[in-house]
Amino acid sequence: MDIAKFKPAIVYTIYIASTPEKVWQALTSAEFSRQYFFGHSVDVDLKIGGAFIVRTPDGALHISGEVIECDPPRRLTVTFNVNWPELVDKLGPTLVTWEIEQAGEAVRLTLLQSQDRELGDDILSGGRSGWPAILSGLKSVLETGRPLVVQMAPPQRMLDALKAMGIKTP
Amino acid sequence: MDEVFKALADPSRRSLLDRLHAKNGQTLNELCEGLAMTRQAVTKHLAILEDANLVSTIRHGREKLHYLNPVPIHQIGERWIRKFERAKLVALGELKRRLEQSDE
Repeated sequence: MDIAKFKPAIVYTIYIASTPEKVWQALTSAEFSRQYFFGHSVDVDLKIGGAFIVRTPDGALHISGEVIECDPPRRLTVTFNVNWPELVDKLGPTLVTWEIEQAGEAVRLTLLQSQDRELGDDILSGGRSGWPAILSGLKSVLETGRPLVVQMAPPQRMLDALKAMGIKTP
Repeated sequence: MDEVFKALADPSRRSLLDRLHAKNGQTLNELCEGLAMTRQAVTKHLAILEDANLVSTIRHGREKLHYLNPVPIHQIGERWIRKFERAKLVALGELKRRLEQSDE
């Protein structure tokens, strides 16, 4: 896969009072991810080509991908493909990159969601509503130790747009 | 949070955010097109938006691209919007959007 063909569609930044190592651990462990990622478990084999898997709270496979870039605790890029029938065929693969930088006593965490084609606002509304909640949750867990579970359903406009393209959604 | 409100208090800066909301990932040149602002003024406003974390920039090839970063606005929402109010607010926003659309 040629990652130069991908252009970021979403770039979000958050500052967290933590260390790059702790942010890296929070991004790559199921124990942490369940506390900020809608209860989902992240399971990643941290080497180039390693598997990246996200499971829903009931254990179903939700997102699958592989590790493209891995530079702990600074940069992690994975393919991030939601496991809905025909989604990848119709929309192309999605790349997610996490960049972690020290910024004074805080950590600057940047999330990039990149695509190899232009996607419409309806399709992108999923990431636009989900990522800020995930990032805020991650910040809360790291700064206070308390989980922040946000209840959030996928935006209806995204589900409608996917259905109109013949992609089956749960 | 003070920085966010100060950055949002200026109509020129809000219009830059509107332009990024309409089309994310623009270069400085693209953002300047058709604006009644000098390039220097746009650069200055973008720096203030970036300091407030409302705009994120990345290097993509040889270009510097600007992206709307709504995370601080989401955090403001979390501070004052209760969990059970969110769905009602989304419904009200949708109602407003539909009613205003039908007048066009």
